[in-house]
Amino acid sequence: MSQEPTRTERAASDDDRIDADTDEDVMVKVRNLRTYYEGGGLLNPTPVKAVDGVSFDIRRGETLGLVGESGCGKTTLGRTLVQLESATGGEILFDDVDATELSGTELEKWRRNAQIVFQDPDSSLNDRMTIGEIVREPLDVHDWKTPRERRQRVQELLDTVGLQREHYYRYPHQFSGGQRQRIGIARTLTLEPDFIVLDEPVSALDVSVQAEVINLLEDLQDEFGLTYLFIAHDLSVVKHICDRVAVMYLGHIMELGPTEELFSDPANPYTHSLLSAIPEPDPTVEKDRIRLHGTPPNPRHPPEGCPFSTRCPARIRPDEYEHLDNELWTRLNTLREVLRERERADRTVTDRIRELLGKDPRFGTIDEIYDELFADQSVPSNVDAILEEVADHVRANDETAALDQLKAEFGGACESEPPEYYTVSDTGRQSFCHRHDDGYRSPDEVLNTRHR
Amino acid sequence: MSYDEHDDETFRERIDANPRPALIWIVGLIVLLAVELGRIVDGIIALGGAIRFALSGIAAGPSWIGDNVAGTLGSAVGTGAMILTALLLLAIAGSLVKTIFVPGSPLKRLGYDIDQTKQTIDLLDRLFLTAILAVIALLAITSPFSGVLESGINGLTRGLESVSSLPTITGRETISNEGHRTPGGGWEGTFLGLSPAWAWALRVLVVYAYAFVALAWLWKGYTIFREHYREADWTPRDDSINRFRNHYWGIFGLIIVFMFVVMAIWAPALGPVDAEHNLYSPYEHEFEYLDDDTVVSTTHGTANLQSQSQGGESTIGLMSYDDFDRWAPFGTNQDGKDLFTFLVFGARTSLVIGVTAIGLATAIALAMSLITAYYKGLVDTLTIITSDTIISIPAFLLVLLLSVIFQQANHPIADVYNGGLLLALIFAGIYWPGLWRSIRGPSLQVAEQEWVDAAKSYGQTPAMTMRKHMAPYIATYIMIYASLLLGGVIIATAALSFLGLGINPPTPEWGRMVSDGRSYVSTTSWHIATIPGIMIVFVVTGFNALGDGIRDAMDPESDTGTSDAGAAASGGGG
Ligand code: SF4
Repeated sequence: MSQEPTRTERAASDDDRIDADTDEDVMVKVRNLRTYYEGGGLLNPTPVKAVDGVSFDIRRGETLGLVGESGCGKTTLGRTLVQLESATGGEILFDDVDATELSGTELEKWRRNAQIVFQDPDSSLNDRMTIGEIVREPLDVHDWKTPRERRQRVQELLDTVGLQREHYYRYPHQFSGGQRQRIGIARTLTLEPDFIVLDEPVSALDVSVQAEVINLLEDLQDEFGLTYLFIAHDLSVVKHICDRVAVMYLGHIMELGPTEELFSDPANPYTHSLLSAIPEPDPTVEKDRIRLHGTPPNPRHPPEGCPFSTRCPARIRPDEYEHLDNELWTRLNTLREVLRERERADRTVTDRIRELLGKDPRFGTIDEIYDELFADQSVPSNVDAILEEVADHVRANDETAALDQLKAEFGGACESEPPEYYTVSDTGRQSFCHRHDDGYRSPDEVLNTRHR
Repeated sequence: MSYDEHDDETFRERIDANPRPALIWIVGLIVLLAVELGRIVDGIIALGGAIRFALSGIAAGPSWIGDNVAGTLGSAVGTGAMILTALLLLAIAGSLVKTIFVPGSPLKRLGYDIDQTKQTIDLLDRLFLTAILAVIALLAITSPFSGVLESGINGLTRGLESVSSLPTITGRETISNEGHRTPGGGWEGTFLGLSPAWAWALRVLVVYAYAFVALAWLWKGYTIFREHYREADWTPRDDSINRFRNHYWGIFGLIIVFMFVVMAIWAPALGPVDAEHNLYSPYEHEFEYLDDDTVVSTTHGTANLQSQSQGGESTIGLMSYDDFDRWAPFGTNQDGKDLFTFLVFGARTSLVIGVTAIGLATAIALAMSLITAYYKGLVDTLTIITSDTIISIPAFLLVLLLSVIFQQANHPIADVYNGGLLLALIFAGIYWPGLWRSIRGPSLQVAEQEWVDAAKSYGQTPAMTMRKHMAPYIATYIMIYASLLLGGVIIATAALSFLGLGINPPTPEWGRMVSDGRSYVSTTSWHIATIPGIMIVFVVTGFNALGDGIRDAMDPESDTGTSDAGAAASGGGG
């Protein structure tokens, strides 16, 4: 019987948990987790803040979705959870054991319980090894029983994931993407883990086989009582398989709550934007699409306040400018983004000489930028005056001062202070946004007025 | 490879189920081995001697260091240093024994259940084996046992030697071409009374026929395995092999290289005269010849003096007998020595130096590339600095410099193999950075593959990950570069010897042959320099062709599946 190997262990850990844990449901507790990548060498000491302080729980037996655009840190978060990356700070408590503190034997034992399925089935299987060797390797590593029993177990597993026992002696080259992903799944199952990180397990597959693999994952979850963290860049995939969803942006979790609720009644402006990007299956339904401008900021230099503040459609505006035209706001945002880019760009000596000579081929002059951005806008005089001052700073090559001025004038709470998590429903849904504070209008309301 | 150990059982079962093909093949193999048993055992004895030599060199290390330290810091510290060095050497030996010969954990097998990480267990295992080795070493040098050991080894060697004197099919005695004319016009002493030329030609034919049959039999063994006993119907390697089989340039290279290797291995059998008699100590060996109807004997040395090829009438050219009726297929050299014998032993020299140098360089480059690609960071930076430093000096200049230094200083290493070992070591030291650089890209790429992460995620040890998940990919690349570089080493050795710096006399070397013969190129003795020159060109071309063939056979771009290239392109996505 294939369930034998870790049953005793599982029972033991259950006992521990009951002893130590009061919140009976929770399996993984992540607290203020941070994973930074060191900057590229000596010249660039600023780390990339891939995961910048996230906290959440994963309940036993559930599937938690983790959604976000590429580069938001979701893969890093998943890899940190299974200790493929080491955390810069914070805790990952698995049944009250902090995985970030483990090393040596303990880490090795712990690894059996937390496994990962990779995104790219082409890259996750060593194609010089037979399927049997690939799936069996974890058993070899942990010296599990006798070689004969290992082979049997692997063949059973191949059966379980919908492949044939005879595939044991084939090579990955001989399989399709979907089958390769099944092999990868079989490998993660060999050690009977309790928790599996699924890192975009179907995004590299044909649409036709995506559903099959998702169904397989669901079946396996039922059969073995697995807990999943399902990473995806696509909300629609998550909708079907996940019990709860966490929405991630630039190293932070913006919103976390039950899937149904989050989809029907998003609280955070970022969730709103993501949802409105899903194409509506019914073309007759008129949907107000919120278009996000620009690209996510560089995680090496995240914004000071709310991570989403550079692009947020519901950003808190100073009262006197609240009624400026939406389009003008967008243009102002673009201006700030352009200036931030310029501030960060290193200028070479040649560039400086060209500047001195009055030629600036790389950036274009501020007048050109203004032309581009504001020529077709009706700019109120008070705004115009500020823009003039900003332009002066830029002409003096002082982008920092220009940005400070723009921030002082047009910034608000969103840009000066990071928001807190607000509980936005009785299911305990959390959202990371100033707008849930009583002092402000709610994101819903704002988006309705601004984007109708 | 130890990770395949678990399939041994089924392999045996598969043979049990259908033993016929395997048996036929084994019988063939035994026959092939039996007819050359003497030579094979000879080779084993020579190998044993080389190992013994290397071991005694290493074993002398601790006391040498101890003496040196004692000279400067006093005897107590010296003894300490000696013990430390000895322990270090033992630890290295222990680790090697563990990785090469002992699969799994010996401690666990002995029934100790240790609750530790793989790394710790591994370390304990290594210590355990080191301790065993230390005990063995101590026993080996303490009096009662050392005597037993010594006589044991001697007995073994004697036993082997008696086997090695068995006649072999390619032996000089079996098909002898050394004899003299009889007054009646025939030949005496040669095989079946054939003329020396024909006897020699027959022997060469037998040697090459044997070598090619042996090669074919090995290939046959592989196909039998593939057809009857391998579980997998198809492996990625099959594609590479099929591609290589259709790569005529590569096969041409393989054949040239194979013939070169055979020439080096069977050098003693191929020469028309015995090298010891004709080249090394010509005045200590006599032979008989017919002089005016009487059979007289003279030494090779005396005869050589009259067979010198120094231009003019007296030259012994290609395919001719000298005045003493000695057959010289490629003529003689300026000293009257047999050029063909010189040439085949020169092949041996080139091969030994080339293989030693490239083997060492490849091993270093492979190990470094695995380590630097896996750990990156500081090791990588340090290796870059080291390799760049070495690469920045023109290689040939560096070789010249080092070999002059060592030879002038009369360092003991410079004497081994008349400077051959020194040269090989210098080449290894100079060529590994280039090799490492050429495989750095592929190794970094393979280290980025998700399967390496996967191995980490279920707790595979770094060493095993490198060996299993990275090395096979890098090995492909390194084989290509190594075979290209081997040609380079052969040329460089020849060039150095040409300049009088590489291999000193009397060890035969092609470059020195060219150098010695170069003043006769425009005379009737043109063959002295020309033939080795052509050989060098051939062999180097052969190695290059082989490298090309391997590259085209293994190139992931031309793989049947596109996934290799695709994986490389999309690796690390997400
Ligand atoms: S805090 Fe401000 S910027 Fe951030 S999501 Fe809420 S409204 Fe948008």
